[in-house]
Amino acid sequence: MRIDRRSFLSFVIGGAAGTALTPLPWKITDDLAIWTQNWPWTPEPPDGEAAYVNAACTLCPGGCGITVRKIDERAVKIEGMKGHPVNDGGLCILGLSGLQLLYGPTRVRTPLKKVEGKWKKVSWDDAIAEVAAKLSELRGKGPQSLACISGSDQGTVPQLLKRLLTAYGSPNFMDMPSFQDAYAITLKLTQGVDASAAFDIENSDFVLSLGSGIIEGWGSPVRMFRANSSCGEKKGALVQVEPRLSNTAAKADQWVPVTPGTEADLVLGLAHVIIKLDLYNKDFVGNHTFGFDDWTDGEEKPCKGFKQFVLENYSPDKVAKTTGVDEKTLTTLAKKFADASSPLAVCGRGEGKTPGSLHEFIAVHALNALKGSINKKGGVWAVPESDYISLPDLKTDDVAKKGLETERIDGAGSEAYPYSKSLLNRFAEVVGTGEQSPVHTLFVSGANPCYTLADTQAVKKAFKKIPFVVSFSAYMDETAQAADLILPNHVYLERLEDVPPPAGLSQCVIGLSKPVVAPQFDTRHTGDVVIQLAKKLAGSVADAFPWENYEACLQEALGDKWDALNESGFVATEVTPAGWEKAFAGTPSKKFEFFAAGYQPVTIEGEEKTFPLILVPYDSMRLSGGFIGNPPFMTKTVSDTMLKGNDIMVEINPKTAKSRFLFLNDGDYAILSTPKGRVNVRVHLFEGIMPGIVAMPKGLGHTAYDDYLAGKGVNVNELIGPVEDPGSGLDAAWGIRAKLTNVPI
Amino acid sequence: MDAALIQKGVRRCSFGQFILFLAVVGAVLLWGVFAMLLCWIKGLNQTNMNDYYGFALWIWADLAVIAIGGGAFFTGFLRYIIGKDELKNIINYAVLIGFICYSSALLILAIDIGQPLRGWFIFWHANVHSMLTEVAFCLTCYFGVLTIEYIPLILGNRQLDRVPFFHNLSHNMHEIMAVFAATGAFLSFFHQGSLGGVAGVLFGRPFAFREGVFIWPWTFFLFTWSAAACGPCFTIMITKITEKVTRKRLVKDNVIELLAKISGWMLITYFAAKTIDTWYWAAVTAPSKGFWMMDFYSGNSLYGLWILFAEIILCAFIPGLILINKEGRKNKTALMIAVILAVIGVSLNRWVMVLQVMAAPVMSFDTWAMYFPSWQEIATTILPVAYGIILIAISHRYLPIFPQEKELNPIE
Amino acid sequence: MKEEHKHEHKAKKYGMVIDLDQCTGCGACMVACMAENNVPFRKDETDKFLSITWMRVYQLTNGKSFPNTEICYLPRPCMHCEGEHGHSPCVSVCPATATDYSHETGIVSQIYTRCFGCRYCMAACPYHARYFNWWDPVWPEGMEAYLSPNVSPRMRGVVEKCSFCFHRYQIAMEKAHYEERHELKEDEYQTACTQACPAGAITFGDLNNPDHAVCQMKKSKTAFRLLERLGTHPKVYYLSSREWVRRAGDNYLRDEDGKVMDKRKLRN
Repeated sequence: MRIDRRSFLSFVIGGAAGTALTPLPWKITDDLAIWTQNWPWTPEPPDGEAAYVNAACTLCPGGCGITVRKIDERAVKIEGMKGHPVNDGGLCILGLSGLQLLYGPTRVRTPLKKVEGKWKKVSWDDAIAEVAAKLSELRGKGPQSLACISGSDQGTVPQLLKRLLTAYGSPNFMDMPSFQDAYAITLKLTQGVDASAAFDIENSDFVLSLGSGIIEGWGSPVRMFRANSSCGEKKGALVQVEPRLSNTAAKADQWVPVTPGTEADLVLGLAHVIIKLDLYNKDFVGNHTFGFDDWTDGEEKPCKGFKQFVLENYSPDKVAKTTGVDEKTLTTLAKKFADASSPLAVCGRGEGKTPGSLHEFIAVHALNALKGSINKKGGVWAVPESDYISLPDLKTDDVAKKGLETERIDGAGSEAYPYSKSLLNRFAEVVGTGEQSPVHTLFVSGANPCYTLADTQAVKKAFKKIPFVVSFSAYMDETAQAADLILPNHVYLERLEDVPPPAGLSQCVIGLSKPVVAPQFDTRHTGDVVIQLAKKLAGSVADAFPWENYEACLQEALGDKWDALNESGFVATEVTPAGWEKAFAGTPSKKFEFFAAGYQPVTIEGEEKTFPLILVPYDSMRLSGGFIGNPPFMTKTVSDTMLKGNDIMVEINPKTAKSRFLFLNDGDYAILSTPKGRVNVRVHLFEGIMPGIVAMPKGLGHTAYDDYLAGKGVNVNELIGPVEDPGSGLDAAWGIRAKLTNVPI
Repeated sequence: MDAALIQKGVRRCSFGQFILFLAVVGAVLLWGVFAMLLCWIKGLNQTNMNDYYGFALWIWADLAVIAIGGGAFFTGFLRYIIGKDELKNIINYAVLIGFICYSSALLILAIDIGQPLRGWFIFWHANVHSMLTEVAFCLTCYFGVLTIEYIPLILGNRQLDRVPFFHNLSHNMHEIMAVFAATGAFLSFFHQGSLGGVAGVLFGRPFAFREGVFIWPWTFFLFTWSAAACGPCFTIMITKITEKVTRKRLVKDNVIELLAKISGWMLITYFAAKTIDTWYWAAVTAPSKGFWMMDFYSGNSLYGLWILFAEIILCAFIPGLILINKEGRKNKTALMIAVILAVIGVSLNRWVMVLQVMAAPVMSFDTWAMYFPSWQEIATTILPVAYGIILIAISHRYLPIFPQEKELNPIE
Repeated sequence: MKEEHKHEHKAKKYGMVIDLDQCTGCGACMVACMAENNVPFRKDETDKFLSITWMRVYQLTNGKSFPNTEICYLPRPCMHCEGEHGHSPCVSVCPATATDYSHETGIVSQIYTRCFGCRYCMAACPYHARYFNWWDPVWPEGMEAYLSPNVSPRMRGVVEKCSFCFHRYQIAMEKAHYEERHELKEDEYQTACTQACPAGAITFGDLNNPDHAVCQMKKSKTAFRLLERLGTHPKVYYLSSREWVRRAGDNYLRDEDGKVMDKRKLRN
């Protein structure tokens, strides 16, 4: 066979063409490509009818309105509700992540009972019967051994829980602390009212924030964001006083770094300058206050007034030494505050989950009073607690009456702590120290004290001592893990509930959240469970809960507001604070009362010698430090200067990193110890923090929840213990002494 | 055992020895294949690449093997177009090395892309504005050409040659080889250039970006030039290594020296061009975007001015100088040093044009990003080396790669 | 009549103006984007070089030491660069036309099913706005329920990025066509991040339409864009009253005082 050029070429071309003409290789190639475009393991969300449903977000007390986009029965996106008086379309990062909580893997899907350390599914009937049996048995021995920890005392569900305790005969209803607790006492003492503080930030032209995380979740986050934005537009000023360049400090017009714990000194220093320069509001101070000038008490004993006290003790040079803020800055700041037409000083650190020192709150309130920024446009208002819930009076039987007469286990309202309503910070100590726990059965609803309370170890230990803990949590959080029985609530998007008016707002917005989707699992509304439980208990307890179910109860409780709420989801009413003439009728002097030296500053735990640094926790919008664990979306946004792998990053100034005993570069591992514990951390060198301070983000270090959150970083509450405020008994720990050491090689 | 397959008149090692050698290299190859399968099955998360390093070790390896595989096209160009006839004695080997380099490059690309099964979209949905499209087309075509150039070599095997069809086929192919070589040279000029263009057109990356003519940035020409200069160096280097390993001379010195001399002049001119390019970039292009040259050579732990010195002076000017001098070319050690430096130089240049481009921050608040490849990346990069060694070993044993071998190593 | 008709079909150029004075760095835009666009997440997202965030909020510092340190947050979506005549850095390099510049809307699209994962576009983008799917997207059991049908989840091995919520444009246009309109009202098409921003820092609209807020805002004296000097012609504008922030948007040879810039100081 001879091949010439011609046949060679025909062979090559023919062969190529022949193969190309066979459909097989092309078909396979194409099919493979199509297959890669439709991999069966890449989800393909089914399409359907799109709809929007209005509801409310109850993940924090902020009270934002939300609009949920639905495709058939699936909720696919949460957006802020347009036109809502609190958030008008905007929504915070947690609210936006809500569907990950609804469809998340950490939900408790059925009632669970702990049997020999393991969770066992139980039916709702059995679970409720078990609790009822336990309570019936216990009641005779002393109903006060039933206690309840609730996320809040506002709203119908906490009210129903409280009602159950009252009908049963226990005074031990405790709620999670907040800076509003300290404000409530401040308002009681200075203004003689039972009220919560509201801040007319929108109308203030100069806001002095003593470490309040205006844009870090303090108060109602979205509303604060808006107030902050509009602040810039109308040329209002925000001055942030705190040791760390937080987001709020970064957005403020001025950042005044201050040694933590000396904020009250700074405020009184400002007062000194204002008084000395005669810049205070003469009308208010002269006509509506008591205790500014020296006075004599009933026994003709001379008492030093606020003016004299401040002038003697808080001269700028002294204050400069204690606070680290130089005299000039102090004086200028005081003048600016005094020059503003409606200046406003606010306090409550970070997100405001720790109440804080009464000394500081009263000092801040006094500064506002100097300028008359009390119950006035652009100032701080005392707003009586909303009584929108009207439940019928309840009749208690003798057992209950006897039980209710006993002193609360946390001591709130006792002689030692006359003004406090709830002192959850004392819980671990009270339960933990005695031979036997004074609490036999504990309900936990809407709270995760085993994570969020200071000195978590002690709290967990206390929980272990309580024979029967019932959790109403929808998620398998730390507290649910420590419980004996879980009666899972619906997640907020599955339930009907009233939304109590967010505190701190200068208008009263009551909301009603209606279910967006049907319950995904075998969960039950805590309101219903409480009613069912009460009915099982019979007698006067059952009589206190005459409703068929929670919805009927809610309808009655909301009374004439029901229709309006049912229709639009919220009712907003303007709040007008009482004028100066009437506002202070509750005080002995019938005037606003200055306190000169009544309360003491708080010292944090630890010896300076052994612990040369100060550890302060900080809040970030991207980390939920409260009852709700961070959903994966939020954790994804957490900066790598806070968390790297599973290591927490603490912020320190480069000067702190290179001191006599320390040599740390950015990202290095170090050991952080406090009187409460010792952990491994990595350091992030940051110029925006005062030398000598170590700042650790809140919201990490979960041991519960899923792999997207558990085991990441350190829970700062394990390193900090509660410090009782000498005046109020509330937790006032703003940090703890600490030490950083190089990791031994 | 395989004596019938071996050409007459040449000496080869024992079959056992040969198999042992193949087994050792084959083990490395299998390691690479395992890593490759991991990347295909589990995805590119097996690598240490990330969103800052979308292009990393593999793209460097790709660019580098194509550059050093440039010996094939440039030798072909000199042999068939310029008419340097002596080069016929090394062209086979240059073609084989080119074939290995280009097939490796295609394999690496197939591993490197996230969706290998749709890799052909580059042809089907081709975007004519993309340098990568140009690369893909030219690379594939040129690989086809190299295959066509390699086939007659395979057919040259003693047993295959006995089949009349193969003999004639081979003969015919030889006759038209000049056409293919010319096509190949043309394609190669283009895709070597397009690879340079890949980096040069990145106007978002001031470290890589270059002005140019028409659609081609200066790097387009620099890449072609450096490949033409260093590709033959690699051919020489591999030839010399093969001679060392087989312990016999395979190509006459005059052939090597001719190629070395041409490479030398290419290197010197490349050195000049690269210097001008760097100077113009540092003085005009980068500052116009707000960058000092030193912004790209400081603030990190690796990339400093040493890299410029190494690339331009040490690995282009010095080897060029050695090779253009007769004494340099004739001195075996100097020649070897020169070609090795040239190969390092071109590889370093490709590294810089891929990895340093990714590392250097552009936004003022961005950071230098450092990267170290995972073992899977290293294994898959070594895979083609093992594959190349095996193919060279087999080809050398059974195919008439070196026409001068018999003459240089007469068997008594 | 003819004039009017012409106006109706005028090419749009969607863009964004982000007021950095208002941005609080809260991250709501990032999550709104992830929730809207079915962006996957993994157990460890702390390696930001591997974390898919179409919208990423950067933290900028002025490089000064305590207590003169200042920080500013800068949200960075895809810039939807126009380049020269639509030759944005990424579009011009994609070998398979998997990313395209729409002259009708000014949006740079990404066709996931066509992308074969060569990542050349990522190398081309100086903003790091493009992300590769190194892993298969996996949602924890049950969580797939919230996935939106309007945006298909991306398979492993392809590049993805911000689309200016293009599906919202499509939905809005469908509705408009149904109502026999050719033009969208400003509020009919807004991106998820714009809508969610609690501080109202983001404004979105047609940069060509004088009735849209962005058209006026971009002319502000304090407006700047990122890396303008590269010629990418981004369509995301930023506003900042602070000089150092505006300067951080681009690269300069000398600082405000005429001293040679040490760019290392600005890198966190």
